[in-house]
Amino acid sequence: MNRKICIVPCSGIGKTYGSVAREGAFIVTEDLRPETTRIMALSRLVPDDSDVRVEIALAESITIDGCKLACAAKVVAETGGTVAHALQVLDVYRKHRDLKPAGIAELNEGGKRLAAVLAEEVAALVDNMEGKHDA
Amino acid sequence: MAHNPNEDLELRIDKFTFRFPTGLRFSEAGLWIRREGGLVRVGLSDFAQRRAGDIAFANLTPAGTVLGIGDEVASIETVKVNISLPSPVNGIVREVNSALQDTPELINQDPYGNGWIALVGSEDLEAPLNGLLDAEMCVALARRQAEAELNPS
Repeated sequence: MNRKICIVPCSGIGKTYGSVAREGAFIVTEDLRPETTRIMALSRLVPDDSDVRVEIALAESITIDGCKLACAAKVVAETGGTVAHALQVLDVYRKHRDLKPAGIAELNEGGKRLAAVLAEEVAALVDNMEGKHDA
Repeated sequence: MAHNPNEDLELRIDKFTFRFPTGLRFSEAGLWIRREGGLVRVGLSDFAQRRAGDIAFANLTPAGTVLGIGDEVASIETVKVNISLPSPVNGIVREVNSALQDTPELINQDPYGNGWIALVGSEDLEAPLNGLLDAEMCVALARRQAEAELNPS
């Protein structure tokens, strides 16, 4: 059974902060922590699919939302998942005001760097979770 | 005077409900004011904050600044835009909401309460107050603005 930590980013298409969330999630799952994480598309959780419910219930999740509606965190919780950490791109941006994101299909340099910073934060959370599991 | 949500006028557009307290006056730029003795408290209306989007940063004009109507009382950076907020009244900034420095999202969460922006003192409040919109007029203005955005021609 796959027990990798699920990284669930915002699915808001056409939203800059949603794009940063997805870009950050890809960096974590493909580059920084591919052995211990995997990405979960939010759209998979919306239909009432029992297989997906089991899948999300068996793993802990880190959600990355692009706005305060926090769809990712809410949907994971409502689908029976465990939200170990709920991140907001806006909160990360507030700590790095020089990395102003812009663009949607193609993020600007600030957006790409913000996604990288976000990914590092997520990776640190993953390490912390893994450490607790190992202890 | 505390804000009583039961006295708000409401405007429903699509899935959104916007609130307009009847005890406040509003500027066309979307700021509200409330008389508090010889001071006026200034903030951003529910409609204006929703339209602006999630606020990342709020920069407030410091206490002691002399404001004319239209001078910038604050500026906000949201996930969508940067907006300069023009003062709806003349006067001197007596106090600003320092909580907005670390938690600017208070404007989104509680626009008529903890998300207030500034307290302004003025010797002549009546004239500018009379030029502002009451809640009913502001609802009508917001409806026109929303319809214009939804149905651009």
